[in-house]
Amino acid sequence: MKGLWRAREASTVAILAIEILFFTWYLWPEAGRPHPFLNLGNVLLIFKYSSIYGIAAIGAAIVIISGGLDLAPGAVIALTTVVTGYCFVQAQWSLAPSIVAGLLVGLATGALSSWLVVRVGITPFIATLGVMGMARGAAYVVTEARYYDLSARLPRDWRIAGVSIDWAGPIIMIGLAVVFQILMRRFQWGRSIFAVGGNETAAIFSGIQVGRVKTSAYLIAGLLASISGVVLAIVQGQGKADLANGYELDIIASAVVGGTSLTGGRGSVVGAVLGALIFGVLRNALPQIPGATFYDRLIVGVAVIGIVVMDRTIGSRGSKAA
Amino acid sequence: MPGLEFRGVSKAFGAVRALDDVSFGVAAGETHACVGENGAGKSTLLKILAGIVSPDRGEIRWQDERLRLTGPRDALERGIGLVSQETLAFPNLSVAGNIFAGREITRRGGRLDEPAMLARTAALLEELHVPVSPGTGMDRLPAAYAQLVQVARALAFDCRVLVLDEPTTALTDAEVDHLFGVLARLKAQGVTVLFVSHRLPEVFRLCDRITVLRDGHFVTTVARAATTLDAVVRAMVGREPPARLAGSGEETRGRPLLAVRDFTRRPAFEYVSLDVHAGEVVGLFGLVGSGRSELLETIFGLHAPQAGTMAIEGRPIAPRSAADATRAGLALVPEDRQRQGLFANLSVRHNLALPRAAQRRLRLIHAGDEQRLAQHAVDALSIKTSSLDATPDQLSGGNQQKVVTGKWLATEPRVLLLDEPTKGVDVGAKFEIHAIIRQQVRAGMGCLMASSDLPEVLAIADRILVMRQGGLRGEITGAMATEENVMRLAAHAAPPSAGLRPAGPAAGAHP
Repeated sequence: MKGLWRAREASTVAILAIEILFFTWYLWPEAGRPHPFLNLGNVLLIFKYSSIYGIAAIGAAIVIISGGLDLAPGAVIALTTVVTGYCFVQAQWSLAPSIVAGLLVGLATGALSSWLVVRVGITPFIATLGVMGMARGAAYVVTEARYYDLSARLPRDWRIAGVSIDWAGPIIMIGLAVVFQILMRRFQWGRSIFAVGGNETAAIFSGIQVGRVKTSAYLIAGLLASISGVVLAIVQGQGKADLANGYELDIIASAVVGGTSLTGGRGSVVGAVLGALIFGVLRNALPQIPGATFYDRLIVGVAVIGIVVMDRTIGSRGSKAA
Repeated sequence: MPGLEFRGVSKAFGAVRALDDVSFGVAAGETHACVGENGAGKSTLLKILAGIVSPDRGEIRWQDERLRLTGPRDALERGIGLVSQETLAFPNLSVAGNIFAGREITRRGGRLDEPAMLARTAALLEELHVPVSPGTGMDRLPAAYAQLVQVARALAFDCRVLVLDEPTTALTDAEVDHLFGVLARLKAQGVTVLFVSHRLPEVFRLCDRITVLRDGHFVTTVARAATTLDAVVRAMVGREPPARLAGSGEETRGRPLLAVRDFTRRPAFEYVSLDVHAGEVVGLFGLVGSGRSELLETIFGLHAPQAGTMAIEGRPIAPRSAADATRAGLALVPEDRQRQGLFANLSVRHNLALPRAAQRRLRLIHAGDEQRLAQHAVDALSIKTSSLDATPDQLSGGNQQKVVTGKWLATEPRVLLLDEPTKGVDVGAKFEIHAIIRQQVRAGMGCLMASSDLPEVLAIADRILVMRQGGLRGEITGAMATEENVMRLAAHAAPPSAGLRPAGPAAGAHP
């Protein structure tokens, strides 16, 4: 499996492990009481909420590695919950076609972003900022300050093959991470993503269809954001325009903390998922520390910088050893 | 008078010893050349002198005083000005903005004193005979003037030592003359010049003494009058340079491979017709701006021609992308390896494997195939790299160029297009690349090589097409292939003599 996993992912795993060990130690309970952090229910909780931006972070990492940027995923997640909710609750469709309708949202926004970037030639930041506004706006237009309550029509204590629906997000996230890691490292398509992000001109000269490669990246990012949206709609039981507010930054931060370079050409999708878990653990554990509740966002902000700096020191040592 | 002195200067980057105990002196007021192959340590020496890196051991003395440079700014303020290879500077600023960047003239309260800077810039430009206005945007200057603006910047800091790193790479002969005129005047004013170049004829024309470095070691310092060009080349590479590689082409030339007819893409070139046969190197010589690069890129499908047709082995083709062109049997080694050829984020192995994979529309990466392909290229082209997993920026310029050449040879092209195949590479690698090209041609490939390096064209091309102002101006073969004849065609109209065929519409059609 040499080449599929790199020193980059190893250092992200190390940071995650240190984080888990720290909170396990810090939150160690008095004798006889259950551990508030290290128990199955809480681990599920961390996975469940991390998966919502973790799935989208896979797509964000791919776009960033290709030399682009996608600011739309938070808004796309919201619009997906709204469209899925509209089809399922308002139009009384069954669940499967409602989910498909939700996934089409991401493909559509991804197609729009890629068209703006590849054909019209707008810089990714501006193009996807516009798409983000449009997607969020469309979600408000459809809901008009209401929200769709999916939970009423969803089965209670829903299990698929004996597994609680709560595990759907984590399973999808891990599955997609593995699939895309293989696609990025073992398939020519992934190599092209790295090549285009590393040197676009050389990619054109090398016979790579740069436009197609970029289009595929934005389409995948859109689709994965929509999958996040579907998971959120089902887990939360809601279709609502103001869900996933500000998630785009968490999603990008997950990718960056996972070793993806914003200048393009370097990074990892597994790293992005690990990055999402690093944030998930922070978000879960911090509120359990007495008095830390209001420091939550502040600490997360400091952690982004700290982790990237740490990763760089570990990473540079790793690459010298390689 | 004591000038500049390097004493036991050593510098290592990781395991690579870039400079090892280098000592030599440059007399004050002399024009001194520093030559050597890529990897000889010239760039490191210049960077130390310009305060960009600090030496591990040893010292630099100026007029018997030890220089302890804290940074590029410090070097500049002590009168050491570096004119670097990259002429870019700040393309978004004006000429005056570039000259005073970081040291702007200000009035009270830090407000910029534009009139003062413009006036000073105008004076400097006049001194250097650069006929541009100080407010002109840097991105609108031709390369030669951009270079001279760097000289002006050094002069604005009252520099006593001017260091030039490969300053003539992008210049035409007339522009080189201009630059050398400026340097001669500066010398008359007592400025010490340290000149680094691959172009030995220029070194011999300009410099009083020549210092040769090889593999990070000092080899020798010789007075120009006491040496010859061949002796310096021997000192640089440590062996004899090979003789002319090309024949007349007649004996090796096979069936026609590439036929281009009336290719036009204004304003770069128009009505270009040419043929490339199996077993020959066709040289495409022209000065900068003659349309060579754009012609090759258009043949390679990167631009659409406005008119004209093209065929490979008689089959018409109209590639609309580089991928199309590679499938038709074309490959292009582009002019600018950093920008157009290499992926700094990918390993040498992956760089070598990419075009072939794109050409064959591979989906799954087969690690074993990739390994074999990369190893074969590294062996066949004797690419010096610590491992196949090294990134291209860890390689010397010559080895980078071999990687770019290798990645295209891996596509097994029938016609190889080369654009300045040895630009900015050292003499040793240049000979090796020439040998590789000749070897491929002997194996039946056709090659169209654009170059502004006339000795190179004369050395390996079987026949030479001369391009000027977007059109083919003639063809030169065999004994007529002399520097003078080629230059005359490239710079002006053809002389009326046998063996020089003016190119008409049918000039490409050979018997």
